[in-house]
Amino acid sequence: MANTAALEGINGLRDIRRSPASHLTAALETGSVQGTVVLKEGPFQTMAGVRVDPRSEQGSRIAAVAGGLPARCGEVSGTDSVSVLWLAPSEFLVVAPEEAHDSLGGDLIGSLTAALGDAPGQVVDLSANRTTFELSGPRARAVLEKGCALDLHPRSFTPGTALTTEVGNIPVILLKTGDESFRLFPRASFADFLGRWLLDAMREYASPEVP
Amino acid sequence: MLLISCPNCGSRDETEFHYGGQAHVPYPENPNDMNDREWAEFLFYRDNTKGTFAERWLHSTGCRQWFNMLRDTVTYDIQAVYPMGTPRPDVSVPAAAESGTASTAADSTTTGSAAPSTSATSISATSTASSTTAPEGATK
Amino acid sequence: MSADLLPEHPDFLWRNPEPKSSYDAVIVGGGGHGLATAYFLAKNHGMTNIAVLEKGWLAGGNMARNTTIIRSNYLWDESAAIYEHALKLWEILPEELEYDFLFSQRGVMNLAHTLGDVRESIRRVGANKLNGVDAEWLEPDQVKELCPILNISDNIRYPVMGATYQPRAGIAKHDHVAWAFARKCDELGVDIIQNCEVTGFLKDGDRVVGVKTNRGTINTEKVGLCAAGHSSVLAEMAGFRLPIQSHPLQALVSELHEPVHPTVVMSNHVHVYVSQAHKGELVMGAGVDSYNGYGQRGSFHVIENQMAAAVELFPIFARAHVLRTWGGIVDTTLDASPIVGTTPVENMFVNCGWGTGGFKATPAAGLTFAHTIATGAPHKLNKPFALERFETGALIDEHGAAAVAH
Repeated sequence: MANTAALEGINGLRDIRRSPASHLTAALETGSVQGTVVLKEGPFQTMAGVRVDPRSEQGSRIAAVAGGLPARCGEVSGTDSVSVLWLAPSEFLVVAPEEAHDSLGGDLIGSLTAALGDAPGQVVDLSANRTTFELSGPRARAVLEKGCALDLHPRSFTPGTALTTEVGNIPVILLKTGDESFRLFPRASFADFLGRWLLDAMREYASPEVP
Repeated sequence: MLLISCPNCGSRDETEFHYGGQAHVPYPENPNDMNDREWAEFLFYRDNTKGTFAERWLHSTGCRQWFNMLRDTVTYDIQAVYPMGTPRPDVSVPAAAESGTASTAADSTTTGSAAPSTSATSISATSTASSTTAPEGATK
Repeated sequence: MSADLLPEHPDFLWRNPEPKSSYDAVIVGGGGHGLATAYFLAKNHGMTNIAVLEKGWLAGGNMARNTTIIRSNYLWDESAAIYEHALKLWEILPEELEYDFLFSQRGVMNLAHTLGDVRESIRRVGANKLNGVDAEWLEPDQVKELCPILNISDNIRYPVMGATYQPRAGIAKHDHVAWAFARKCDELGVDIIQNCEVTGFLKDGDRVVGVKTNRGTINTEKVGLCAAGHSSVLAEMAGFRLPIQSHPLQALVSELHEPVHPTVVMSNHVHVYVSQAHKGELVMGAGVDSYNGYGQRGSFHVIENQMAAAVELFPIFARAHVLRTWGGIVDTTLDASPIVGTTPVENMFVNCGWGTGGFKATPAAGLTFAHTIATGAPHKLNKPFALERFETGALIDEHGAAAVAH
């Protein structure tokens, strides 16, 4: 249950909030190879973990707030500003820009909570649970393939698809945002390891290609 | 490395899963009436079959759902994948050929049929909505 | 540290007899434990009309697949007693068996990488000392002094925070151990019968009276099972269950190197155990696969993880090459301790559940199991390891000292 008063109370702390990979900012910049593969930590997001039976009434109510619930593995639903990622048949991750958070004037968590009501299920504010890495460029797929066993070929993994898997032995949600761009959602405590792992995997692309 | 067909997510590497031991071990119906021997059986004794074995698996870094699997403990061939709580399928159901690569085949991740090819009685994405994680299924 | 130190021996160390129609006792399983059991039955109990049945070739199962580490630094009194007795036997066996199987007491180090590890290790050193097992706690610089190739810097994921050290521990040449026992068994009149697979048991009521094999039926008064990973299969044939699960456990060797690694290093936490064999190859144990398996092979990712940890701890290994990998089937129990004793079938005895501790226990397993078979009652060392402990609840939880999580 979102406690709006409490959230407003902590809102003054927003300015000193640091993202889990913020200490890597400079390293990510120098490790990126413009035009080949670029890695950035994404901005804060509002994230809500939702567990609900999608076929139930409460499922429909939540779908109405979130902009639909994805039906199967890989699918992403939502609106222009809200994405709903499939995690399991009755578990979803709702992702929206930071401003959607109730503590910053939005109402995402509150409205999801209200939509669930007293029905079986849960809505949990997970905005601080995961950070996001944005990996893009013609070599982005090659970097991921060093530590991810999924078939990332475009014929199989298409933009707008999100899969829960492992990259560099780290559990992540991997969202394909464009033909050559990916968003990775590691849990905060894995951000440092995954960031450094990705930088290491990117390193070879800074050197001239050996024909 | 086993390539396991998660009923919800399709074929994934063994590293994404956790092993849950023998399937179909029910919680005792009358725990208060059991003697030490029977408790020992329930707590410590599990089949150690050489051959086709029904076992539980958890797709821990995927959908976090439990499922049952029939696997040959000598050849490691996966003969069937089926939902928690359903009876062990007849292994005479021929298992479809595995794709042999660690791919998320397009049809298992991005289109309608989430059912993996090796599934004898597979779970569709919608029919598992009421399935739970460990505790309930774990007693089946 | 050279192959020419190995003893010369004739082409055949034991006969290859046809099975007789009856024996006083039959041991099922011609690995280290089966051979040691037969040896002590003959030597200590005068039972020489006995046979060891091996479905494949002598010592071709886990005896050929282990990493040859011998140590006795287990936590609990019961385990320390039996493993320490084994270590004492290892110290005298080369002389007794008249065969130098290169038991090298180069010490074994168990690394600690977390504060929890440190506390547990220091506790174990204390427990070992109280049980008369040689044990020391080493600070990181002492670790480095004993094993200079270890990376003890802070700049790794799991830095070395110290280690337990057992100086009397070490390694031996596993196949030579088997041959040493086999030769002595043969001399004492024991029939070692290879390519003889047990297919069933003859029972008179609840009592075993014979063994069915692919080479005919053998009548016997007593049967001892020493089949490690296949114990459950035999128990099922005999009509009882065992609380064990068989898992693939892998190991590997590098190509030969000059001597670089003077001791044995084990790390439960990052999962590495390494020694350098007499010939020069680095011998490393990898982990168990989580699932049940009889395939004598495991998953590649287990080896990959093992190598990652090994290279972090021993940067010098980065240039070494893996020459061979293999898998064995280990029989694990839920308390990571063995089962040695009687079974629900009269005159049938079982020695199993050693998990990853089988090789180092070989002489004591043989001694106590022989005593159990000969007298029908356990030796005081194996009494706590009875099958009944799973009913009484008197478990001996050795997960902390058992090296590989199982």
